[in-house]
Amino acid sequence: MTFNITRSPSLLSPDRTFRAITLMAAVTTATILAIIFVVLALGSIPALTATSFLDFIGTNAGPIFGTVATALIAIVVAGPIGILAAIYLVEFAPKRLAVVLTFIVELIAAIPSVVFGLWAVNDLSIRLRDSVEWWIASTFGKFIPFLSEDSNNPAADSVFRAGFLVGIMIIPLVVALSREIIRAVPISLREGYIGIGATRWETIRHVVLPTARIGITGALMLALGRALGETIAVTMVIGGSNDVPGSLFQPGSTIATRIATTLPEANPDVKSVLIALGVILFFVSLGLSLAMRLAARQTAKITASVK
Amino acid sequence: MRLSALIATIAAIIPLIALIYFVIVRAIPWLDAELFVNNPLDKPSGISNAIFGSLQLTTAAILAVSPIGVLAAIYLNEYASPRVASWSELVIDVMLGVPSIVVGMFAFMVVVPQLGVSAGAGVVAIGILMLPIVVRTTQEVLRLVPSSVREASLALGVPVWKTVIFVVCRTAFSGILTAVILAYSRGLGETAPLLLTVRGTFAQNWLDFGTTMNALPLTIYSYSGAADSRTLGQAWAAALLLMVLALALNIVVRARTVNSRVA
Repeated sequence: MTFNITRSPSLLSPDRTFRAITLMAAVTTATILAIIFVVLALGSIPALTATSFLDFIGTNAGPIFGTVATALIAIVVAGPIGILAAIYLVEFAPKRLAVVLTFIVELIAAIPSVVFGLWAVNDLSIRLRDSVEWWIASTFGKFIPFLSEDSNNPAADSVFRAGFLVGIMIIPLVVALSREIIRAVPISLREGYIGIGATRWETIRHVVLPTARIGITGALMLALGRALGETIAVTMVIGGSNDVPGSLFQPGSTIATRIATTLPEANPDVKSVLIALGVILFFVSLGLSLAMRLAARQTAKITASVK
Repeated sequence: MRLSALIATIAAIIPLIALIYFVIVRAIPWLDAELFVNNPLDKPSGISNAIFGSLQLTTAAILAVSPIGVLAAIYLNEYASPRVASWSELVIDVMLGVPSIVVGMFAFMVVVPQLGVSAGAGVVAIGILMLPIVVRTTQEVLRLVPSSVREASLALGVPVWKTVIFVVCRTAFSGILTAVILAYSRGLGETAPLLLTVRGTFAQNWLDFGTTMNALPLTIYSYSGAADSRTLGQAWAAALLLMVLALALNIVVRARTVNSRVA
């Protein structure tokens, strides 16, 4: 619905004034965005031109590794659980139950990340250390040094635990996005397959998931972007070491945690490096977010073409 | 296979239950009157500076941002061409995905040099994070108002601006309120941007946005590893307050719009 009032009689008519006010608000919003974009891009230039890009990556390998590692662990934790939960909510759960469960899952998203951090520091992190982390280290640690841990004296903080925590935190996002996408798969497609004798699960495997594939990939990318930028909860459990850890079960840092903990007191050189790292984070999450939105549009087109 | 999907759903919910249980159990012993009345420097210590700091910061940000956000959404939904609207939607969606630490860093680079480390800088950072939420949610709500309502009003000779304000916005009023409440609840929990802009203080600050302030997330963060049981207990109490506020606001909102697509 669009109002066209270009032929309004007076320049100062209330209609024009109101339209101008709303336009100004929209322009303000856009301007803030543009300013953020420009300031960050310009702010990163000193650090990125001082050395070659490869040197820059090399000297900041610790936080870059930590960022990628925590985000990937988070996706490994949240991806399967989130997608399966979304399948259950859309395909199997009775309607009322689905509404209640969806509501509960979405509430997780409303809990501030610092509360997750407090919980992790005092409870979850210790449980993970003694269960999942211990199991992986004792099973694979002997062959893969990167997954080894001194079981008598495990580190107080670890990259793995930070990633796992972020995984728990992004589950609601994965569920919400996947649910939307699975729900958008047209009923007629499912009916066609069930009509030729397929079971419910076969229909999901051969019709629903292939149709939703692009959209779900996009959802995971958006979740990955969220995981990359998660700051405060990660800061509380990752330990803050600046080097690339010798094992996933040792302390590390991420770009976001480095910025949060060291930017306020940083000298100008460190400051420009941190800003450049932040800008990389900014553009990577922008890219992932954009990819998700475009994938969602693509899925919408596919499903619309069937309807 | 149905079973594995059910198990995954349960696995998705377990953390919520564990977390809520833990926060409640650990926080309850420390909930007393001093918590709400005293500052960390008083004896016995409390966290009133953080409680009222959080409310001041978030309220100031929402007051600054919601008019802009709602008006921008009105422009995008009522006036802008579908092409412009569709592109701005994309841009705002993408902006929602920008990590809050990056916005905090922006505020640190641009606002802190002007205002200093202060509550004002924190308000700017939180406001920037709230803005896309307000715009996007309001836009979704305005879109739900049927065109026939607008047409009926216009057919009666009501000018466009009056139609928008008194018909469209009134119809969508509770939805717009939802948008504002959602943004408020998101703002309450933001920590990383505050670390770079407000930093926190032990003193009580009433409405002086030129100096530093405290906030619940900052208290939780700085008390989280405390060895002293009272300090750690206050971190849990702060977490309980923050969680109850955030969950209550979300439950109020979602109970009314369970089927709303807007996250």
